[in-house]
Amino acid sequence: MKQIVLVAAVLVTFGASLAAHHSAIQFDFTNSKAVTGVVKKFIAINPHMQLVLHVKDAKGERDIEFEGHSTNNMYRAGYRDNMIKVGDTITVYIAPLKDGSDGGYVTAATTANGTRFGMRSRAELEQERLKAEGKK
Amino acid sequence: MKTSIIVLATCLSFTSSVAVAQQPDFTGVWTTYNEPGAAPGGGRGGGPPLPMTDSAKQKVAKYQALVQPTGDTPGGYCLGTGMPGSMLGSGGYPMEIVQRPEQIMIVYEAHNEVRRVYLGNRIVPDADRLPGRNGHSSGRWDGNTLVVETTHLVEQVDQRYAHSDKAKIVERYHQEKGPKGETVLVAEMTMTDPVFYTAPVTTVKKWEKVPNGHLLPYECAEENWIKHLEQLEAKGAGKK
Repeated sequence: MKQIVLVAAVLVTFGASLAAHHSAIQFDFTNSKAVTGVVKKFIAINPHMQLVLHVKDAKGERDIEFEGHSTNNMYRAGYRDNMIKVGDTITVYIAPLKDGSDGGYVTAATTANGTRFGMRSRAELEQERLKAEGKK
Repeated sequence: MKTSIIVLATCLSFTSSVAVAQQPDFTGVWTTYNEPGAAPGGGRGGGPPLPMTDSAKQKVAKYQALVQPTGDTPGGYCLGTGMPGSMLGSGGYPMEIVQRPEQIMIVYEAHNEVRRVYLGNRIVPDADRLPGRNGHSSGRWDGNTLVVETTHLVEQVDQRYAHSDKAKIVERYHQEKGPKGETVLVAEMTMTDPVFYTAPVTTVKKWEKVPNGHLLPYECAEENWIKHLEQLEAKGAGKK
């Protein structure tokens, strides 16, 4: 699996984009969750990428809307044009909505061919730290 | 006679080019610099309390109370940060400087904010300046340091360094070499504002040069336009 993940840059741009753009108040950035589905809509745009995934899970089958980092932040974390297309099966890593409903803020993604781009969330960084310290 | 003119012209030209050559060239793309060992983010946010006047505190508190429930920001509505927020980090996005002797363009990637710093004969008279979120900037060289003075700002309570329309911001830019040989642009800012502050406010922002760097396009309002079209479509507009 190819991995394109910026960590140092993310810590700058991640916090920056939250401070600089849309309200992020509804997202829980202390948590990270992976969601896999088929792309129904994807627009790489600023200030936030727009994504709709068709998801099948224990709750059933439905379309879920996501937003995520700006295209510019994603580009610097490995995203390139046409990496995600309608019909692709992808996994997104999200900061879930605080109220537990569907959706979230996309911080990273693994594309149909296994390329990962994006930022490690605070939750992922914390998990990695604990793992490195042998606590988890 | 002919010879004299040529010699004179040559001397003037030579003098001019020497004067320009003595000044550093800040042209290039710059990103937030992190001091070795410091937390990422380039020191954004936080810091000591600002020496704000009571009336300014009330204005800022009123604004905070308004946006706190939703977490709304100007950027969320595709509005640029404005000075001094733009020069202090521009939301973590890079900036590009294009330098000419008479004018320096500073383009902040986020929201495509542009500042024009006029020098020498290009400086616009006070009476001909219009106020704005980035104000109006004029510059001069103090040895290897570029001194930029910004006035004609509008009141802004929606950024960390809130200010009134009477604010004056002086930036002093110089280049240094970091421990790894990286080129660092140091921007020392002093903001004076008799309406909002009881003392000058100072801070330092450092930028690191990105070799062969490029800014990306940032069409923030495109999202709003697409959503508007989707709403029109949902209402059945355009169908005969």
